[in-house]
Amino acid sequence: MLKSRKHVFWEALIITIAIFVIGLFLGMMVETGRSSEINDFYMQSEVNLIDAMALSQISNEKGADCETLRQRNIEFADKIYEEAKLLELYEGSGKLTGSMEVLHRKYDLLRTLAWISNLNALEECDNYNVITYLYEYEAEDTTKRATQSVWSRILLDVKHGDENLVLIPIAVDQDLTSLDVLLEEMGITSFPAVAVNKEKVFYELETAEQIKEFLD
Amino acid sequence: MEWLTVVYLAYTFFGFYFLSIYILTYLQNRKHLNESFVPDKVRTLSIIVPCYNEADSIGKNIEAFLRSDYKGLKRLIVVDDCSSDNSYEIIKKYAKKYPRVIALRTPKNTGKAAGAKNFGIKYANTELIGFSDADSIPNRNAISKMVGFFNDPKVGGATSRVFVSNPKNFLERIQAIEYKIIAFTRKLLGFLDSIYVTTGPLSIYRKEAFDDAGGFDENNLTEDIELTWHLVSKGWKVKMTIPAIIRSGVPRTIKTWFHQRIRWNVGGMQTVAKYRKKIAKCGMLGLFIMPFFTLSWILGLTGLGFLVYRIVGYVSTKYLIAKYSVSAQVAVLSMDGFALSPSILFFFGVLLFSLGLAYTVVAISHSKEKGLIIGYSVLDIFIYSFFYLIMYPPLLIISFFKYLRGYNTW
Repeated sequence: MLKSRKHVFWEALIITIAIFVIGLFLGMMVETGRSSEINDFYMQSEVNLIDAMALSQISNEKGADCETLRQRNIEFADKIYEEAKLLELYEGSGKLTGSMEVLHRKYDLLRTLAWISNLNALEECDNYNVITYLYEYEAEDTTKRATQSVWSRILLDVKHGDENLVLIPIAVDQDLTSLDVLLEEMGITSFPAVAVNKEKVFYELETAEQIKEFLD
Repeated sequence: MEWLTVVYLAYTFFGFYFLSIYILTYLQNRKHLNESFVPDKVRTLSIIVPCYNEADSIGKNIEAFLRSDYKGLKRLIVVDDCSSDNSYEIIKKYAKKYPRVIALRTPKNTGKAAGAKNFGIKYANTELIGFSDADSIPNRNAISKMVGFFNDPKVGGATSRVFVSNPKNFLERIQAIEYKIIAFTRKLLGFLDSIYVTTGPLSIYRKEAFDDAGGFDENNLTEDIELTWHLVSKGWKVKMTIPAIIRSGVPRTIKTWFHQRIRWNVGGMQTVAKYRKKIAKCGMLGLFIMPFFTLSWILGLTGLGFLVYRIVGYVSTKYLIAKYSVSAQVAVLSMDGFALSPSILFFFGVLLFSLGLAYTVVAISHSKEKGLIIGYSVLDIFIYSFFYLIMYPPLLIISFFKYLRGYNTW
């Protein structure tokens, strides 16, 4: 009459574990798929960068074809900027695997190379501008995160109004020796910072118009 | 994996586990939800009603018990705890008119229901004893639906289903939903021998079991929880009777509701502290009731922690972004903020909430009144699920501090 039904504790545990295993497995599958998608973009971008660097070298040796160089660098920067946005979107939802973080680091290295390449190109050609946005990827301070977010919006405003602008966002806390050395050489020690060509570095928030004053 | 992700996964795991227990128990026992048994013999019963300043309701309570169809109800012992109104005079009038009614008065105000209940028990020498609140009105067949459970000699207590009496204002309506879900859940826990409280409005005990547990603990603010734990720890079974309905008054104002909930929580903490050494021992008490009781607190607090952490982080960041955006002359709102790419954690949360909501609807639909399918508006259920339940954890925190400071006021 009053039979106990305590086997339900085991059944519920099995169901819960099953839900979790299936959920985690699906989550990892999605994250791995996204990581693979970004990785494909990355490989393409890597080829494009090497191509741009080779072009830059040819231009230096045989006389600069600044228009081609400008076009190539802007196209490349725009491409990796779009990929960075996708990466950021996927990173926000990637909670289970660390694959996105590794990709982010690889992209930061790629963007550092792009920055160096553009700085070299600017020595021969002054027909375009380079803005490098240096931020902290793992900023925990709310004020800093808010400042970085507003910097992104300002630079996007600057970028939208200028077709001759290369915008390169780079996370500085990715333990990249080449980037650290470059930043030290340029005397940039606090972040977020915005480097305009080789001339000016902003540390405090400015308006888009104030930044545009420093563009050629 | 971030520590916050690990905590969130642990939170959802236990949430799923408890919900799965309820859902499986419901699916496996839904045909037995309304079970009640014909008594194999008529067991004598005394009902004890503690009363303090209940002049408005005590008469209705006595009359309702006198109308009971249970033939074994021998005594209705109404104990006035030195009311300052005319409750005792009313009780005496009924005692004069009906021989089954016994009017008692404590020598001095005990300050707690447990004091008056223990005082009244001295006058009960029946096989079964029951307790009711003075503001509660049982259905005519409530007792007869409960007593059949005592056919099983291991059953030490049986409790009833409490409906909110005539809910009028919004707070009462929300509590009406809450009480129905509590009753439904308690029935499911009954299938697992894991009922953790026998309600004050109407519960019946085997006298032998009650004596075995030593009566009500007068130092505990929730003497009914304490007694139930004591019974279970002694190996007695406790059962819930869905068809036994009693209507009871609930707090009508936020202030009285708050006071009641603090008392319930502090009483729960006193009980956990008293039985802490029984964890993992004493059958279902240590194996499920205590871990379930304490884990539900931890889950509530963790959930609140997540919510506060997220909201504070979101609001403070958005505020600073807006402030800086204005000074930098850029758009305050950005479409970047609306980009959605939900993680698996989000889907876990949505699934957990959806199952919880489905459970709420099923629980309410099993307690329908007036022939309605659900009986409540979507808005009421929405407010109950989103806002009312969120009040539990803050109350728990306040209660914990009051408990630490020795709060012990009825």
